[in-house]
Amino acid sequence: MGTVVEASAIATPGGDPSIGALGLADAAARACIERAHRTPDDVQLLINVGVYLDRNMSEPAIAALIQEDIEANLEPSPGGGQGTFSFDVRDGACGLLTAIELIDGLLASGAIEVGMAVATDADPEPGLTEGFGFPALGGALMLSTDEARRGFTRFRSATFTAYADLFSSAIDWRVENGGGRNVLTVEIADDYPARVLECAEVTTRELAEADGLELGEVDALFATASTPGFGQALAQRLGIPPARAASLPTGLDRAHTAGLAAALESSSLAETGTALLVSAGAGITVATAVYRW
Amino acid sequence: MAHWMALEGGRNSPKHGAFRSRFVGIGVQFPEGRLTTDELMAATRYHTDIELEQLTGVRERHVVGAGEDSYTLALGAARDALSRAGCTGQDLDMLIVSSISRHVGGMRIQLEPPMSVQLKRALGADRARSFDLSNACAGMMTGVFLLNDLVRQGRIRRGMVVSGEYISELGRNAAQEVRDVMSDQLASLTLGDAGAAAIVERAPDGAVGIEVAGFTTLSGHSRLCVAFPATIGPGTTMHTQAREIHVAGIEESVPRLREVLDAAGLSMDDIDYLIPHQTSARAIEKGTKELSSRLGGTPKNVVITVDEMGNTASTTHFVALWKYLSEGRFRDEDRILLLSLASGLEVGIVIFTVGDLVQRHGQGGGGHGNGS
Repeated sequence: MGTVVEASAIATPGGDPSIGALGLADAAARACIERAHRTPDDVQLLINVGVYLDRNMSEPAIAALIQEDIEANLEPSPGGGQGTFSFDVRDGACGLLTAIELIDGLLASGAIEVGMAVATDADPEPGLTEGFGFPALGGALMLSTDEARRGFTRFRSATFTAYADLFSSAIDWRVENGGGRNVLTVEIADDYPARVLECAEVTTRELAEADGLELGEVDALFATASTPGFGQALAQRLGIPPARAASLPTGLDRAHTAGLAAALESSSLAETGTALLVSAGAGITVATAVYRW
Repeated sequence: MAHWMALEGGRNSPKHGAFRSRFVGIGVQFPEGRLTTDELMAATRYHTDIELEQLTGVRERHVVGAGEDSYTLALGAARDALSRAGCTGQDLDMLIVSSISRHVGGMRIQLEPPMSVQLKRALGADRARSFDLSNACAGMMTGVFLLNDLVRQGRIRRGMVVSGEYISELGRNAAQEVRDVMSDQLASLTLGDAGAAAIVERAPDGAVGIEVAGFTTLSGHSRLCVAFPATIGPGTTMHTQAREIHVAGIEESVPRLREVLDAAGLSMDDIDYLIPHQTSARAIEKGTKELSSRLGGTPKNVVITVDEMGNTASTTHFVALWKYLSEGRFRDEDRILLLSLASGLEVGIVIFTVGDLVQRHGQGGGGHGNGS
């Protein structure tokens, strides 16, 4: 018995460039619920992990807005039942795996029976931000417990704080033209792709050793770090045939918090055998998990 | 039995945890500066005629000065909590940062890396799984809920949740725009700065600790309080429909409190201290009266610190807890109910027995909290 991914989904702006991070999150959540053949009221825990949000909203949790938009347990029903608890996790590109680990804990304790992790990023103020290179993308994963499956069998994460300066973003007040404005700036150092690869390899090997996993026997690798070619490069370093590394769809190879959901679009976890999930981002933090069908 | 709330503990818990969790260290860090309500209202851009102190009971609050920000407050509080708990950063399995404000380096609002990365490094919490979470003023309580879940299952032995709230800057921005008592930025004028940290660990066999923890989000009210980076200057502005959120909070918290008390086999009469979210002394007094009436029981004491601290956002419950511990007001056997009502609308409840927190905060047990 273990925590399994019932369904995943992503949402892109398509023909609506004005859609923001919340709209993408709502769309991904609704698609995920539909794919899982569930209703919004089934979702007892909703964690949003998106970082770049409409107008850089800091309150309330975006998860609460998503919950309202998808109409998940808005009001307690007179006959009882179970509601929805919503909050945000901020762990950069590792957010989805962090949320999965927290949902896994609450599923195991019996506090909830179904949880959904939602990720979303979109340029908060197109044309006014600096260095923002992530595609607008929402993603969602539905998780529950399956008596017949092992699901997630191990999580491991690490932070390499010596590299904390390689990936940063902040909002600063900038004085200009007699007035001023708050400006979001994203800065990613040139050597971030190389360092994040090194860090991810270290943590993934530690995970494999702790889990007794032979890396050469991994059937699928889902790895993202907001940088193109990361999955294939990590597979090569780990001795996993690159063909087993999920590729991100065209235009989404720099996907940020929803990157993992996009990787899962290219290859299903179902009947995969043994899968490795790896996310890496600012910190440098690496989050990893083993998933067994 | 199904609960509306996500619930951990109590008699009817879906699955009993293998272990009990307890608070083992509460830490705070207050900034050096103080600002009275009279001083703040004298600095408003427009002549307002607002009797803020009379309306809210807030007389003064701590305010950040040069060299202080969300990060320094969080770091000071974290060190204080570690000192009270008699442990070091190396002893933490998890580190959660739950601030709404994320000012690192003055007014700079940091999005990435999460603030937990810097705190992890500064505290030497090398083994700790670290991340930030965001849940408005329910952030620290959400962290406690998660740590309680993981400790009860034996997944971690000890974890810390910490917030550093530099939010008096919202009051500065509001002072430039508030014109009358109907302003949607009025609540920002009650805010004060503070850092707070709580360490949750596995309790020894037979020790008291957290009895039950529950949370839910009534998101039909999710847009009653929203905050964004300001357009008039550095920092943030917050827009609140204060009356609506107060009414919704009372209405929604009654059945949720009943559910959690029932799960624990308790009534309000069994609660020695109720610590609600600190928004306004008047609102707390009125709300508690209403809750007691509807629940058919009255807590023996209701803690109010907003008069001298202001509303310190996600830290309010733990600032109040620290203050009462430091003043020697609690007995080991006292049962505390922490009630969180926050933008979302988040309703969070934690019931615990104080236990040896009293000794840990006794004479000579201090750390870096610099009191009020």
